[in-house]
Amino acid sequence: MNKKKVYVVDNGGQWTHRIWRVLRELNCDSKILPNTTPLKEIDAQALVLSGGAARIEWESVKLGNCIEYLDHFSGPIMGVCLGMQFMAIHFGGKAGPAQVAEYGIAHLEVLEEDLLFKGLPKHFNVWQSHNDEVKEAPGFEVLARSERCPIQAMKHKTRPLYGVQFHPEVNNTEHGEKIYANFLSTLD
Amino acid sequence: MFDSSTFIKDSITQLKDKIKGKAVMGVSGGVDSTTAAMIVNKSIGDNLYCILVDTGYLRKDEVENNIAMFKKIGLNVVAVDARERFYKKLQNVIEPEEKRKIIGELFIRVFEEIAVEKKAKYFVQGTIAPDWIESGGGLRDTIKSHHNVGGLPKDINFEIVEPLRDIYKDEVREVGKKLGLPKEIHQKQPFPGPGLAVRIVGEATRERAEIVREACYIVETEIDQAVKVGKIEKPWQYFAVLLPVKAVGVHGDVRAYKNIIVVRSVSSIDGMSAAYSKLPDHLLESISVHITNKLKDHIARVVYDVTNKPPGTIEYE
Repeated sequence: MNKKKVYVVDNGGQWTHRIWRVLRELNCDSKILPNTTPLKEIDAQALVLSGGAARIEWESVKLGNCIEYLDHFSGPIMGVCLGMQFMAIHFGGKAGPAQVAEYGIAHLEVLEEDLLFKGLPKHFNVWQSHNDEVKEAPGFEVLARSERCPIQAMKHKTRPLYGVQFHPEVNNTEHGEKIYANFLSTLD
Repeated sequence: MFDSSTFIKDSITQLKDKIKGKAVMGVSGGVDSTTAAMIVNKSIGDNLYCILVDTGYLRKDEVENNIAMFKKIGLNVVAVDARERFYKKLQNVIEPEEKRKIIGELFIRVFEEIAVEKKAKYFVQGTIAPDWIESGGGLRDTIKSHHNVGGLPKDINFEIVEPLRDIYKDEVREVGKKLGLPKEIHQKQPFPGPGLAVRIVGEATRERAEIVREACYIVETEIDQAVKVGKIEKPWQYFAVLLPVKAVGVHGDVRAYKNIIVVRSVSSIDGMSAAYSKLPDHLLESISVHITNKLKDHIARVVYDVTNKPPGTIEYE
């Protein structure tokens, strides 16, 4: 079987490389691309938009070509942290400084299993590192929340676009690899 | 999945092609640099000079133990005593990033001196993925300058070779194991490039280095012993940190006013995220009693760090 081509778009996150590593462990053909890479040069079947230090309200210019990917990339996309916040805003939602910033361990509650949390428990521990959060995401269904952050995971109502505020690529996140595997199953 | 045999084979082919002549490399005795040295040694043999610098910020007995180990695994070692140079350069330096940069630069100067002597043009480093990720560059915020990445001076006269750049610590351990490194090396806990200097918050004087060296030794021996008898699983990293603040204590009915030692122990698989170790109380107590008794002239209090990464980092500076 051919390997799935799933690339990581680097928005400058500390864990960008971890995403690449998890994809590699899931037997994908993966590489890390600068977010300034022109869409026509990307031959991937799916993309993951990494997190990053940029603040969503006033530094979204640092997200390079992410708008183009969201509008014109044909395959599934998963946005992580900043990647998800950007996704929410791009489709008419709101994101900004979190009511309560979360770092390290947090408790996740799955509201809608959907495909992303298929086969996973309703409650588990995940790892966080965010100053901003998604406030509103019209066009998306909220899939999970934590005690301190109401939108922890979301899925676009019509397109294969997913967002997670927590970091499934971090080893301390329970079931993290399975979440990426579930995302990859959109390609099957 | 990561395949260590393929990685070793491919790396040796590439290195043979890349390195034409002699190379120098700084070795610390840690799993990264030792593994990188083994791979390069398999590619160019004794044309690789492994330089072990005693910075004055190494752990107890580390220099002697390392030299013996390198000889045993067949590496070509050059040992350099640079303790005075390091202590002198770090006088009055408090800011952590400045510390890291000074140490990185002085390391390079020492390596350059040896390289000139040996006529080497290549400089091998045991950089692994998290080192350059955390060092920032481009969009990424700099969390810490790793001495083998962000701490490098601009005017270096070598070509840099980094055979482990794209892999993680647990993968390095597999590679090391495959290459026949002894278990005490491939399972050795990580130790920062700048050494104990970043475990001394504030000025890293010789006297403070001695204190933190002894405290780290106590933490390591206590935890290693608990691991050995099966009381706990081996943590990812465990050590002591000396704080430049004092607290009041009482020693034999006499007031004591001494510094504070932090005990830090975390579990992780790659250092990119970490949870503090849930060590048993009796073990923490034993560490505390040993440190406060042995270092009574300097330390009056021991605290345990219960911060995960994030928001903390593993080391302090």
